[in-house]
Amino acid sequence: MPQLAFETFVPQLVWLTIVFGFLYLVLARVALPRVATVLEERRDRIADDLDQAEQFKRQTDEAIAAYERALAEARAHAHEIAQATRDRLNEETERQRKSIEARLAEKIGIAEKQIAATKEKALGNVRDVAIEVANAVVTELLGNADRAAAERAVDNELK
Amino acid sequence: MATENAEHGGGGFAIDPMHQFEIKTLFPMQFGNIDASFTNSSLFMVLAAAAVIGLMLTGINRRAMVPGRLQSIVELSYEFIANMLRDNVGTAGLRFFPFVFTLFTFILACNLLGMIPYSFTVTSHIIVTFALAFFIFIGVTILGFAVHGVGFMKFFVPHGVPVYLLPLVVPIEVVSYLTRPISLSVRLFANMMAGHTVLKVFAGFVIALGSFGIAPGIVPLVFMVGLTGLEVLVAALQAYVFAILTCIYLNDALHMH
Amino acid sequence: MGVAFRLVTELVAGVFVGAAIGWVLDSWLGTRPWFLLVFFFIGAAAGILNVYRAARQIAASTERDAGGDQQG
Repeated sequence: MPQLAFETFVPQLVWLTIVFGFLYLVLARVALPRVATVLEERRDRIADDLDQAEQFKRQTDEAIAAYERALAEARAHAHEIAQATRDRLNEETERQRKSIEARLAEKIGIAEKQIAATKEKALGNVRDVAIEVANAVVTELLGNADRAAAERAVDNELK
Repeated sequence: MATENAEHGGGGFAIDPMHQFEIKTLFPMQFGNIDASFTNSSLFMVLAAAAVIGLMLTGINRRAMVPGRLQSIVELSYEFIANMLRDNVGTAGLRFFPFVFTLFTFILACNLLGMIPYSFTVTSHIIVTFALAFFIFIGVTILGFAVHGVGFMKFFVPHGVPVYLLPLVVPIEVVSYLTRPISLSVRLFANMMAGHTVLKVFAGFVIALGSFGIAPGIVPLVFMVGLTGLEVLVAALQAYVFAILTCIYLNDALHMH
Repeated sequence: MGVAFRLVTELVAGVFVGAAIGWVLDSWLGTRPWFLLVFFFIGAAAGILNVYRAARQIAASTERDAGGDQQG
């Protein structure tokens, strides 16, 4: 078994020490720190990117919030305007209605007054005619007539 | 490994499946009176380390924000080991991240390089895996005493054991602790060696049966393809197991449970 | 195969380490074979303990990632 050839042990050990020691030094001093730097840089970079993404997201959220606020404001404003317009129109309509009503009322008043005057006049005519008739009838029947009594009787009846 | 049979081809069963594990000196070298010959094992250690360093440095070279394929591999392996430490040891374990990462990638590279035909598997030698395991064992033990002082001895005294049983239980716990480097190293070594030996034996079958015609040789060849796939899996898994057990031992030393 | 292999490794490693400690103590104190004998059994017990712990850990990790670390 070549593995038990003792005279080969010392050179193997010597070279193992040299090679392993050299490999250790190169890896520990040069190669591994470089890998560590690259990995660290990447980690930092990723963290930075995440931070940035986070920031962007925050900005986006803010923009969305602002937009929504503006939208809500606009909506409220529009609502206000609509309300105001509605109110104004209502008022106008009301005013016009009132003025028309007033005019109508005036006309009705005038008409009523005319009617009343006409009626009164008519009633006045009726009284005169009635007095005349009553006077004439009483004169015809009794020969003479008390005009004042006839007037009183007619007024009594017309009441 | 597998296609090495071309070298010794024709011999059929005569192929020595152990031949692939032989250490061949490429350049004899000497530090003082220490034999430091550059062998095929050393070569593949250097290749494994070079592969890891090359992959890591070219992978991370562009430092792209959005990683390419190579950079993804580098980053995934980084995260993989970092998570392994975090899960098994906690954040205190991240101090040992470079070590565990080196351990995992080195073993993985050695295991995978060994899958290439004609190559040599560094981790199929017990002395290499034992050296790694023993280093971890010693380091973890020192760490335990450094963190807890003499109190680390309590690690060998399980909770709720009656006092009169302690003379029995404590030695058992100590021996159990001492077996760690053995089982850790034997597991890696044996898995790598067994896998490669089995592949080699099947390669022998391919040659032996193939000499009777193509059809009989196909069957073991199909087996070999399947086994090679399995071996790649085992290579990765054993590197993972070695790393995760290191994490568990670190956790024991740091948190004592 | 992986699980069984791992458990066998744990057991054998326990016995091996126990026997090794016994052997070292014996050759140090010149008490052969007593420490070897005692530590052989302690090693076996430690091996069984390791097998138990390994099995529990495998079961836990299998439960955790539904069939992950079985080759260990």
